[in-house]
Amino acid sequence: MVVSGALMGLVYALIAYGFQLTFATSKSINFGQGELVMLSAFFSLSLLNWGVPYWLMIPGGLLFGVVLGLVVERACVRLTLEQKSEGWILLTIIFGLLGFSAAENIWGRDDRPFPTPIPTEAMQFFGVSITPLEISVAVGVLAVMGVIELFKRKTLLGKAFEAVSADRDAAELMGISARHTIMLSYGLSGLVAAMAGILISPITTVGPTMATALILKAFAVAVVAGLDSGFGVVLVGIFLGALESLTSFYLGSGWREAPGLILLIMALAVRPNGVFGKASIRKV
Amino acid sequence: MKKTLITTLLLGMFIAPAFAADSIKIAITGPFSGGSAPMGTSMRDGAKLAISEINAAGGINVAGKKMKIEIIERDDEGKNERGALIAQELASMDDLSGVIGTVNTGIALSGDKHLQEKGITKIITPAAGSASMTQWSKAGVKDLSMFRFAAHDGIQAEMVVEEAIKQKFTKVAIVHDATNYGVSGRDDLLDQIKKQGNKLQVVATEKFNIGDKDMTAQLLSAKSAGAQAILIWGIGPELAAVSNGMAKLDMKAPLIGGWTLSMSNYIDNAGKNSNGTLMPQTFIEEAITPKVKSFIQGYHKTYNVKRIPSPVSAAQGYDAVLIFAAAVKQAQSGDTGKIKDALEDLKDPVKGVITTWKRPFSKWDPANVETHEAFRRADTVMGMVKDGQVVFADPADRKRMIQKTSK
Amino acid sequence: MLKRLLFIRGAELIALAILATIPLTVSNTYVLGLLTLLAIYGILLIGLDVTVGYLGQVNLAHAAFLGLGAYAAGLSVSLLGFGMLGALAVSMAIGLILGGLLAFPALRLEGPQFALATLSFSALSTTVLNEWEGLTMGAQGLSITRPELFGFSLKAQGFYWLCLVLLVLVWLAMRNLLSSQWGRAFEALRDSPIATDAMGVGTYRHKVAGFAFGSSLGGLAGGLYAFNFQYLQPQSFTYDLMVILLLGVVLGGRKSLWGAFFGATLIVLLPNLLSNRLLFEIISGLGLLLAIFAGAQGLKNKTTQPFQAIAPVIAMGMLVVGGYMVENTENWRKAIFALMLFSVVVGLPDGVMGFTARYLTRLFRIAPPDLPPASALDEVLPAQQADSKPMLELKNLKRYFGGVKAVDGISMTVRTGHIHGLIGPNGSGKSTAVNVISGLYAPTSGDILLQGKSLPKGSLFKVARTGVSRTFQNLQLFGELSALDNVMLALKGVYRSPLPLVLLGFARAEEKRAQADALALLELVGLQHMARVHARDLTYGSQRFLEIARALACKPKLLILDEPAAGLAHPDVNVLVDIIKRIHQRGVTIILIEHHMDVVSTLCDVVTVLDGGLVIAEGTTEEVKRNPLVIKAYLGIADDTDVPDVIPAVI
Repeated sequence: MVVSGALMGLVYALIAYGFQLTFATSKSINFGQGELVMLSAFFSLSLLNWGVPYWLMIPGGLLFGVVLGLVVERACVRLTLEQKSEGWILLTIIFGLLGFSAAENIWGRDDRPFPTPIPTEAMQFFGVSITPLEISVAVGVLAVMGVIELFKRKTLLGKAFEAVSADRDAAELMGISARHTIMLSYGLSGLVAAMAGILISPITTVGPTMATALILKAFAVAVVAGLDSGFGVVLVGIFLGALESLTSFYLGSGWREAPGLILLIMALAVRPNGVFGKASIRKV
Repeated sequence: MKKTLITTLLLGMFIAPAFAADSIKIAITGPFSGGSAPMGTSMRDGAKLAISEINAAGGINVAGKKMKIEIIERDDEGKNERGALIAQELASMDDLSGVIGTVNTGIALSGDKHLQEKGITKIITPAAGSASMTQWSKAGVKDLSMFRFAAHDGIQAEMVVEEAIKQKFTKVAIVHDATNYGVSGRDDLLDQIKKQGNKLQVVATEKFNIGDKDMTAQLLSAKSAGAQAILIWGIGPELAAVSNGMAKLDMKAPLIGGWTLSMSNYIDNAGKNSNGTLMPQTFIEEAITPKVKSFIQGYHKTYNVKRIPSPVSAAQGYDAVLIFAAAVKQAQSGDTGKIKDALEDLKDPVKGVITTWKRPFSKWDPANVETHEAFRRADTVMGMVKDGQVVFADPADRKRMIQKTSK
Repeated sequence: MLKRLLFIRGAELIALAILATIPLTVSNTYVLGLLTLLAIYGILLIGLDVTVGYLGQVNLAHAAFLGLGAYAAGLSVSLLGFGMLGALAVSMAIGLILGGLLAFPALRLEGPQFALATLSFSALSTTVLNEWEGLTMGAQGLSITRPELFGFSLKAQGFYWLCLVLLVLVWLAMRNLLSSQWGRAFEALRDSPIATDAMGVGTYRHKVAGFAFGSSLGGLAGGLYAFNFQYLQPQSFTYDLMVILLLGVVLGGRKSLWGAFFGATLIVLLPNLLSNRLLFEIISGLGLLLAIFAGAQGLKNKTTQPFQAIAPVIAMGMLVVGGYMVENTENWRKAIFALMLFSVVVGLPDGVMGFTARYLTRLFRIAPPDLPPASALDEVLPAQQADSKPMLELKNLKRYFGGVKAVDGISMTVRTGHIHGLIGPNGSGKSTAVNVISGLYAPTSGDILLQGKSLPKGSLFKVARTGVSRTFQNLQLFGELSALDNVMLALKGVYRSPLPLVLLGFARAEEKRAQADALALLELVGLQHMARVHARDLTYGSQRFLEIARALACKPKLLILDEPAAGLAHPDVNVLVDIIKRIHQRGVTIILIEHHMDVVSTLCDVVTVLDGGLVIAEGTTEEVKRNPLVIKAYLGIADDTDVPDVIPAVI
């Protein structure tokens, strides 16, 4: 039980990681991230239905996610960042609305199963029942995050990314284009969303509303961990997921989310920049 | 002058321009987007199928004139507030003959009072929550223009509990969603268990939210309490999550619940885990008679689907239109009040896809909700999921239904 | 004056007259239903605009307050037997109390963190409404009967008028609030929370009060909502509704009563517009034309970027083309909204009403109301006695940042009536010392005494209240406020009316008085003719002088000027010296941090020199100039850009 809760927590963490990527470079996040997850999952499903083999579908789905991420950046984020306004909040919400409606009409309003070659029969490990599919989700989440972190640390492009996150103006002075870096971050964040969609779809099914509940929790995980916390989201995600399972078992399933929410408000009150976030000094 | 101009402008914005007077206007309302859209759109499309058939045949013969049916579609998004506004809008239309629809019981509770106030006839389908009719008996309304065309939760709960007793279970868990539908289903189940002699012991009552994908915690507490069967009340995808969760925990207890277990989003998503699930049905997507066959094929062809998302909703929408049309014909008028009177005493049987309807409604009696309820226990059968299809759980029912629809 | 009244009040009156008389001419229940909802949403959005518009925070809890207010009203009728007004008062109180409770922790946060805290609150309140079945009937929903008002049972029409009256009252109260010190404070704390605190206005206090007030309007709207629909379910008040409300505020235009009202109109009417195919086609066509027209004009005048001009055209184009291709527009509702909203948000960032307002002000240039004559300076800034007693004493003051010892044990005394210079090379700890004194940073150790009493530590607000006022090296003006408002905001001792009286409009007299006083201070720095100019539009020099006037409005005993001459042109430096002399004549004690040695030597009675976080010399200008330690300190920092300025004066 705790394990399956923690597993959902890992998925929250992956989506939360998508928030972090864009926040690092541009101090903005995509409120339509859930729709990106959903659209990529639908697109991947269509690829499968067109006869694309499973392992080829994954890069296809990821590419679609990247494209969507770039579209979001171009249409919803760039202008408002230049204007230094917070219009991106609304524009990304609006983009999500558009994506939701398009999915409803293109792919239908119904939830659909997502086939997977990974077996779903439960296995027993030390009294915990877990399916290979669930293990694949956990591995997938950690792998994607690991690869992106490696990319950020080991490649030139990745270092440019880190530089813009650390100090945008200074990076610009050094000849790093903040605009391109922000585009990169949105592309990566779209990729992360697509990966999340492909990973969880076999478990949650694919439907227009598949990500609405996920996204709020992912947002919570991202903020509580700190929007610049890196792997902090994994710990917070696992913690929140497990906590939900526990409360719903012991307190009654209706109250499932309550303790998490209270903890969340308290955590923010004590550490506004997140449990794993960095404190900032007021400057004049 | 200015005032009237503005008023006209405002009115023009609010209200669709009047249609030609030689048509019967019927409004179809329901959630066509969002979580309960599969039911709403199936109902709507079933109803539109019936309407296009009627119109293709020239329309309804009213006082020597063939009148076609005009459709006014309104999406309530499953939101009470939208539902109430739409009801107000419909109530303000002078030439509306009637309303068919509503999936969410909450919308019936928040909107129908506006229609009732104006005496506009409405056939509620497929919303099954008991409260949408009992609100009127509680209020002691003398003259009611609301009719229900769905097996209400009372009947369904009765059948579910009967089934559990029949299979000699003694310990059951009730699992339901946190919506109006799920919570009132839970209450109906508890009620029926009491009525049927407390033969079942409810060892766990668990709840889940719309959108929940992980049901492990709820199921574990049912399992550890020793439940032999899970009685479930919820909608679509979450039901599949329950079924899949049970498979994962290796729970063999059967799933018995409301009619929504026949929706494709449950059966598809639960895959083979859905085998053996039992639920009361008013309609089973199996071409048991030519009439049913042509309906099912017509639906598949018109809307380009391989299976109806919610067959029950579609069939009920279809039959509701036929019954409404029969009432128009009997009343010889598009006047909503006269149609109501005709509905309360329908003379000719109506050959529907669910059954052949003989005087489905009678004069409203606040003491007896059944007067405006079309479905009886006998119109409902137990369905069972078998290899991705809903089939008759009891072959005897199949024979009975073939007889009834072909009569 | 008359013209102004006619235009601004006239529009309000006409709108009100139309809204109030529609039910007399139209007896359509649907129209009435929409209008009622419009009035309710109007109240709701005005409340939301307080946080979203004026406080500049994304508030996701407003839908929850609507729900809580609705349940509170419903339950107070069914359980306690309250009448209409009683129930509405309860719903307002619930909004106010819970809003206050949420605001205390939440308003310590900013941006995404604040959004999340409010989102959590709203999820929590939905859970409680859902699970507390004994009280709220949970998901089954609560049916409510509309209570009587003064013994009359209200029909649809009467109820509509009640909602309208309440909307008008809320509108007036809000206008009173915004045109008072509160409104200025809201604007100011968005521009610069630090300066707001430093002027003794109290950022946090105003934020909490503003949030609680907005929430109470949410509660009130909830009460009306409950009696309008007479059936409540917790699921009505979730994230979906919240998104719509936010969009309403932004579309209508933030920081505007008309904007909130227009947003409410859009929310209520837009779904209905789609029901009619023809109307939809007309509207999308008009929208496209407008987008093309506005885009072309913007490009021609170079006021917009290409993207801003083209994107709405593309979006509206998609709408028009899609409208012809799609069979059932009802299926695409959300996409249609999304495209329309996208066009407005990109094309008109100030919202529809913001755009209209700008357009109208260009069409009709309306002069602002006349200002009262300035008060006498003696009243505003009474002369203080310069008796050379200690005003400020620092005792071994230290402030470390991690391992950096920015201030490492400074002791000094500033005497009443003196201009006390604080100089030293860059990085010597001057600014940190001043930031510790004024409360921006708490000291690591050491004591600060003001007139012998310990000064509060680590709170700009509390320090400001004890009579220490400052300017900032990097300007911290309230750019969106006029020069006059900048000074009025900081004005101390004028605003005495409690919040309820302000809401009722009884603060007008003190507002006039404040204008007069602020004008006197602007006169002191020579900006009286710039009173109505936005601070961000002033020249750099004027902005510096305005900061001084604003600091004086706090009526300080001790004024700290942090490099006031930095970046000033030579003539402006002379003006500055004059201004400081005039302030000195009124007996205000001044600490002057400055690099310009000629300014320091002209003005300062005593100079303290810092280096490396320590005092290396103190005395008159002449004395310290000859101090070898000082000369070494300055010459030792060869790469200091200010050195050429300083060295000739020193050597």
